[in-house]
Amino acid sequence: MEQWVVVTIIISVYLGVTLTIGLLAGRRSTHSVTGYVAADRSFGLLVMYFVTGASVFSAFAFLGGPGWAYSRGGAAFYILAYGAIGMAPFYWIGPRVAALGRKHGYVTQAQLITGRFPSKGLSALIALLSLVAFVPYVTLQMRGAGIVIEAVTDGHVPIWLGSLVAYGIVIVYVLSAGAMAVGWTNTFQGVFMVVIAWTLGLYLPYRLYGGIGEMFTQIQVARPDLLTPPGLDAAGEPWTWGAFSTFILVSAVGLMMWPHLFMKAFTAKDDDTMRRTVILFPTFQLFLIPVFLIGFSGVLFAGSPPAPDFILPFMILETELPAIVVGLFCAGALSASMSTGDALLHASASVFVEDGVAKFVDLDEKMQRRLMQLLVLFTGAVAYVFAQDPDSSLVLLLASAYGIISQFAPPVIAALYWRRATTAGVVAGLIAGAATAFFFWQNPDLKPFDMHEGILGLLVHVPVLVTVSLATPAQSEEHLAGYLS
Amino acid sequence: MSLRTTRVLAAAYFVAMTVAVTWPGLVPFSRVEPLIFGLPFAMSWIAAWIAGSVVVLFLVDRVEKRYRDGEAD
Repeated sequence: MEQWVVVTIIISVYLGVTLTIGLLAGRRSTHSVTGYVAADRSFGLLVMYFVTGASVFSAFAFLGGPGWAYSRGGAAFYILAYGAIGMAPFYWIGPRVAALGRKHGYVTQAQLITGRFPSKGLSALIALLSLVAFVPYVTLQMRGAGIVIEAVTDGHVPIWLGSLVAYGIVIVYVLSAGAMAVGWTNTFQGVFMVVIAWTLGLYLPYRLYGGIGEMFTQIQVARPDLLTPPGLDAAGEPWTWGAFSTFILVSAVGLMMWPHLFMKAFTAKDDDTMRRTVILFPTFQLFLIPVFLIGFSGVLFAGSPPAPDFILPFMILETELPAIVVGLFCAGALSASMSTGDALLHASASVFVEDGVAKFVDLDEKMQRRLMQLLVLFTGAVAYVFAQDPDSSLVLLLASAYGIISQFAPPVIAALYWRRATTAGVVAGLIAGAATAFFFWQNPDLKPFDMHEGILGLLVHVPVLVTVSLATPAQSEEHLAGYLS
Repeated sequence: MSLRTTRVLAAAYFVAMTVAVTWPGLVPFSRVEPLIFGLPFAMSWIAAWIAGSVVVLFLVDRVEKRYRDGEAD
């Protein structure tokens, strides 16, 4: 049997198992909105750990990470550095958010923010910004899935077909079962992904260089500028410390502000589960080490992939591994893509319906659920069209989206901790911050110290929020009592 | 240890970590030699801060839990 046939069979089996798990999990969920969006607040430690870990580690980490290590060297270490910093505050913020969720019946981030700062416009603005940030993120996942399938089947299954089949399956289980399916499939996919990454990450350096230390010693001799931060930029020139540092900061601030991650606070069964998830989360971060090793193993390898994002499948194919290993690897990469893509599709639909539509039109529960399902389909279709564009780097797609997402941090912190914050202050800050980030994203040459546009946005956002809040009348004690105790 | 001291120390760790993995804190450690477990020094340096954060959060949890249980009584 030809290699690509074996690989295709393994991938089909893997996809079949994922679909089965997704559909079975859905039968445990109730048909309410809380069931669809927040899995009836039922996730224990195992599922929470993998839901959080697997949703963070996406095609971005699994394909973009090695791509960066391979082409930009030490620049890739930024991806390693931000997770633990970004997650730690959730030890305290998470349980507070969960308590407010139970008290007021919230299932989305915008409901929390607009609960404290009542404004329909604010709700719509958050829904809109979330959607704008989600589309590139979903696009990246779909493209990742397509890249892997095309590469390992020798082009017999092109990107358009690979991403269509993989995401067809995701959409089926997200539509039918919502958060419960996302949780249980991510657990399966998370385990799979970690095992595959460590196996390959250790195997390739030994096979090609005789050891990890050997590999880095040889790279250091041949490419002395590559291995130290801030590494190189996309053109192969030295990257700036300003960009390296602010990429870490904006990602740390933005990490838990992603609606699909923030909403996990509403899905946890109890506060202890959430706290333990936070404590264990950095262990998931260390899984980037083997992923980088895979990328570095390609640096001195003869030949090069069509684009850095292809380095992982390229290495697998060029080192003549048995077909079964190639198939398993491919399933691991698909896990990475699909476990994030499903959470994203699910969250974008939930956010758009709950915060963008339900605030303005009266909908019963059944209608809301139906509308969310329609939106999953719609967002999937839009991202699918974008995913066919060959000129996109996986890491850069995501890094741009962080510019928007990080602007949700000040409103969330203000809602939970600052009594004097007002609706006008929050709205003004969000508009000013998002506009600043957008301006510098459009005009990268004007950025001071090459800083990330999201950080520049925050530097404008926070002072505006504070000034306008202090200039407007404080909220009543009665209202505040519901949020700050 | 009191709850307040614990929280201040935990915050201090994460602020220190932020400085240590960005400019200018990372500059003196941004080198390849010596290799640690075969990894470039800068990579091990960042990984060590991540490992440390698990320990810090675990210790924080022990103190916080004692206070939470105390409140319940």
